[in-house]
Amino acid sequence: MLAQIVLLIAVAGILLYFVSRRHNVRMQAGKRIALFLFLALNVDAVLFPQHLTWLAHFLGIGRGADLLLYLTVVAFVFGMLNTYLRFRGTNAQITELARTLAIREAELVNHQRGVLASADVHTTVASTNITDQEHRST
Amino acid sequence: MANEDVWVVIPVYNEERVIADVVEHVRETFPNVVCVDDGSADQSAARIAGTRAHLVRHPINLGQGAALQTGLSYALARPGAKYFVTFDADGQHRPEDAERMVEVARSGEADAVLGSRFLEQAQSVPWLKRAVLRLVVAMSPTARKMQLTDAHNGLRVFSRRVAERLHISMNGMAHASEIVSFLAKSDFRVEEVPVTILYTDYSKTKGQSLVNGVNILFDLSLRDRG
Repeated sequence: MLAQIVLLIAVAGILLYFVSRRHNVRMQAGKRIALFLFLALNVDAVLFPQHLTWLAHFLGIGRGADLLLYLTVVAFVFGMLNTYLRFRGTNAQITELARTLAIREAELVNHQRGVLASADVHTTVASTNITDQEHRST
Repeated sequence: MANEDVWVVIPVYNEERVIADVVEHVRETFPNVVCVDDGSADQSAARIAGTRAHLVRHPINLGQGAALQTGLSYALARPGAKYFVTFDADGQHRPEDAERMVEVARSGEADAVLGSRFLEQAQSVPWLKRAVLRLVVAMSPTARKMQLTDAHNGLRVFSRRVAERLHISMNGMAHASEIVSFLAKSDFRVEEVPVTILYTDYSKTKGQSLVNGVNILFDLSLRDRG
């Protein structure tokens, strides 16, 4: 019963994390601390398996290995969504790059085709801005 | 020539069969047309190059939202551009509808004019599509707030002020919802104008599949994060 509550809270926490719009330095530090704690728990579980078993029993789960599996699933989903979002950020950058390139080349080509007067060629467009391009690493 | 201050943006992806005719038809009304070829695998770019439309080519396929933004950026850089029309490449829109919408924008009554399939006669829309599109509107809080009848129509007119502020970040098909929510959050005046959609056999094969709605919802719910 307790285990179900804990796991549901973990899932809810992940959802909340991805629905919140703030992804600042504090968030980043939080992610790193969570990773560190998870690793520390793993080391502890390897050295003292009875700790994990005790914790599992405390939470109402049969075996320590089951608890570890549940936690791994939570960590995996979190990591996957994080990667997905980073991938999208990279996509946005590629889009800007391709767009700038496309417009620049189009101005030259359309000028050669005679549909664009030379006075119109700006070649410095890149007007679209991405507001959320702070440097980020997991 | 009339409508010198209007730029029509047409995102193109694998439309070699119809794109030249669509462009020529639009150019009878609007002289300034920019086609954004979104990395088509077919001869779309060559067909466009054979017309008097401006051609912008994405080096890689980025999606319809990205193509629209590229076309708007290109058109915004052209001197004298005041009104911006988004127009589908498959020939389902009518230039005369676009012209009526530009007139509404010109009159100063609205900063953004959106085409709607449902304002007057909805007969031309297949019933299943009609039901789904109505559901999309009902589920979108922003569309309800603005009392829009059609949130996913590709025919739109923006004034220069709107086009300058609009930055489409949804590269895929979710850009339609993104544009509506952008307009809802802004203080721009939005007007809906009834338009007729020509559901030809060709445009039916190119239309958004209903399953794609799932993808759109997923993209929207996770935007701007991470």
